[in-house]
Amino acid sequence: MPEPAIEMKGVVKVYPDGVIALRGVDFIVERGEIHGLLGENGAGKTTLMRILYGEIKPTRGVIRLFGKKVSFRGPWDAIRHGIGMVYQHFTLVPTFTVLENLHLSLSAIEKITIDETQRRARELMEQIGFNVPLNERVEDLPVGIQQRAEILKTLLRRAHILILDEPTSVLTPVETRELFNTLRKLKSMGITIIFITHKLKEVKEITDRVTVLRKGRVVGTVYTSKVTERDLARMMVGREVFLKITKKPKPLGKPLLVVKDLWVRDERGVDMVKGINLVVHEGEILGIAGVQGNGQRELAEALAGIRRPYRGKVFLEGRDLTSMDTMARYRMGLAYVPDSRAVGLVADMNIVENTILTNIYGVVTRIKRILWNIAGRLTKRVVESFEVITPSLSTPVKYLSGGNQQKVMVGREIIREAKVFIVSEPTHGLDVGATEFIRKTLLSLRDKGKAILLISTDLDEILQLSDRVAVIYEGEIMAVGKPEEFSLEKLGLLMGGIRE
Amino acid sequence: MSSILKDIKVKIMSRYEDYLTTFIEIAASAILGFGVGAIILYALGYDAGVAYSILFTRGLSNANYLLSKATPIMLTGLAFAIPMIAGVFNIGGESQLYVGAITSLVIAVYTGNPLLAIAAGIAAGAGLGGLIAVLKVYRGVNEVIAAIMFNWIFYYTILYLLTDKLYNPQIPHESLPVPSSARIGVIPTPWGEIRAIFFIAVLASLLIYYILYYTSIGYTMRVSGLSPRSAKYAGFNPERSIINSMLLGGGCAGLGGSLLVLGYMFSLDTTMSSLYGLGFTGIGVALLGRNNPIGIIFSAIFFSMLIIGGEMMELKVGTPTELADTLIGVIVIALALPYAYRMLISYIKTRRLIKK
Repeated sequence: MPEPAIEMKGVVKVYPDGVIALRGVDFIVERGEIHGLLGENGAGKTTLMRILYGEIKPTRGVIRLFGKKVSFRGPWDAIRHGIGMVYQHFTLVPTFTVLENLHLSLSAIEKITIDETQRRARELMEQIGFNVPLNERVEDLPVGIQQRAEILKTLLRRAHILILDEPTSVLTPVETRELFNTLRKLKSMGITIIFITHKLKEVKEITDRVTVLRKGRVVGTVYTSKVTERDLARMMVGREVFLKITKKPKPLGKPLLVVKDLWVRDERGVDMVKGINLVVHEGEILGIAGVQGNGQRELAEALAGIRRPYRGKVFLEGRDLTSMDTMARYRMGLAYVPDSRAVGLVADMNIVENTILTNIYGVVTRIKRILWNIAGRLTKRVVESFEVITPSLSTPVKYLSGGNQQKVMVGREIIREAKVFIVSEPTHGLDVGATEFIRKTLLSLRDKGKAILLISTDLDEILQLSDRVAVIYEGEIMAVGKPEEFSLEKLGLLMGGIRE
Repeated sequence: MSSILKDIKVKIMSRYEDYLTTFIEIAASAILGFGVGAIILYALGYDAGVAYSILFTRGLSNANYLLSKATPIMLTGLAFAIPMIAGVFNIGGESQLYVGAITSLVIAVYTGNPLLAIAAGIAAGAGLGGLIAVLKVYRGVNEVIAAIMFNWIFYYTILYLLTDKLYNPQIPHESLPVPSSARIGVIPTPWGEIRAIFFIAVLASLLIYYILYYTSIGYTMRVSGLSPRSAKYAGFNPERSIINSMLLGGGCAGLGGSLLVLGYMFSLDTTMSSLYGLGFTGIGVALLGRNNPIGIIFSAIFFSMLIIGGEMMELKVGTPTELADTLIGVIVIALALPYAYRMLISYIKTRRLIKK
């Protein structure tokens, strides 16, 4: 038997900030197969592939390509070894034509004329049977065609190992089918393909084998034909729940946040939220479960007024918010905790300055003077009631630990007495203690009669905290129900886009 | 007012360590800059000791001259720093100063009212700054390109106005003089008489400091500059901040031109040699002052010393004109080193963490 195309052994990756992304991963891809890489967010899929592509260096571990040990100094080195990567966000120059893009990437590795590039591109397109208009500007093309251009680019560089990172996340169903046809064709030409995804159906449809990662470890590598989607779902999410939080039963109050038929596009013009209807009641936590990138951020931002929906309405306590700007919504009693601390906090500003970020209108006089003493008192309350550990109030938040930063970000919203909370990934990257603290805080808000929309990719969190759970997949709500009605397995299937 | 001053004092005290490290960094950069300058002097065959002693003694010998020269560059320094804080690169301080100077001159000549002249100068500078911002925000014009274009457009327009319309019939290489009623005088101090324009510039710096750190306008600008995404999340309008910062910055440069004409030159020469370069020097002043309005007060004085002392060095030791500029350049480069130093430290730290 020939050596496998890729053999990664004992790969460990510790990021500079101490996060352990991979804890000893063995990953083997045979020649000429389509190999799925499946896992939740933070499972380490992307890290593993970035190591293979030479973008980051593993802390430990060995990589062999066709039996030969390699150690890449950068992506260019990996490209020379015949590895091609197609990212979710394309790396084409939007104002160049497709041909110019191809030529740009080719001339980085060899001396070539643009006519020669064109000839080779046409030859290749004929061979694999797809058509990309070479002389159109990239920005004028639909995403599906842009992706083809990207694939063409890597193949022109004579890649024989192709890595696709969530390639279908930007595609329509028809484009997805076309992509799969292309991939089968490439496979028949002997090209090895790694297909990163979280969509179970696609794994079943296109891959020969699949490796499932969970929390930086390999759960297993299996032949796709021998497992069901159910098995894969269990492998992907199955785990013990170790934090147990008790929740008082509570009758539903009146509806506070109502979302009607909301449609939102992202920067690329792709529909990310497709007709979502939601109601969050007083004293209720509605959990939105789903794999990252299925429209959660766009939904949250549309509710906060940061992004304009192109259809649909949002009501808070019966009042139409749809045409209000963000600050007006905050003043009306909406609070939004974003999924990224880089957005919710200004790293170089101190705790006081960050505390008033979403509450500036509450601490200024008529002549716009900031009352720093009042701001300071507010900050003190945040720091004391949320046990933020900091040397002083004037410490820039970048010097705080992630957990303490998160406490500032959540705490300031709670202090300003909002009625409706949109909370996104509130415990992402936090240790057990901080996680528990934040979750308990959210529950106490619920008990006080606030309405909370909890958006999280952490299923434990969703199941523990939510009074009702909604599953989001590709911008649509797949199902809504009480947490007891969902087994982890069922959630896994729904998050992977499969309704039973 | 006193409560504000107290606030500022508390603020400075609470950031004592930050200020201390910044001060050490600046001092070390200055020493490094002078060190490299000494090597250059030596290489060119001059006695660095003599040259430097002239630079410092002559540079600092006349307080009034020193502070008067510091005035316009302090204000063009602010013109660069304020937009920088909001994330905009304003290299149009040059033309904003020109329009401030010429507008003030015209208003002073025709009305004889200094307050009106100053107000008009500020308005002209702010208008030009605001125009660049509006072009950037609503038309997507890169602010650097727009500013460079405006610099030249106004340079030649004003040159034309001075030589063709506003020249003094008695002294044709000068513009019409500012009438005595519109001139800004001097203030007696223990160090001799100091031109009042310096104090106006210092007050302007303090006012800008107040706006940046004590009002929601400044706060919004700072958030937009440090993290545009956070600004959007907080519901601020980053575009509004860009325009505000350019209005303020342009206004400062305009005030600089205005004060220069009304309180120091009293007329403009028809080659504009007295105006040319003050806006660009302001960039260095702002960098040295770390974009902090209070730091800029001191860095403007320091620059003024370098400029005056450099001229004296040229006269007494015969060093080339460019040497003072070279020194300034070396110091500004040396000032960027702390960033490199910090990056190196964090790089080493992460390497160590990975090895563990």
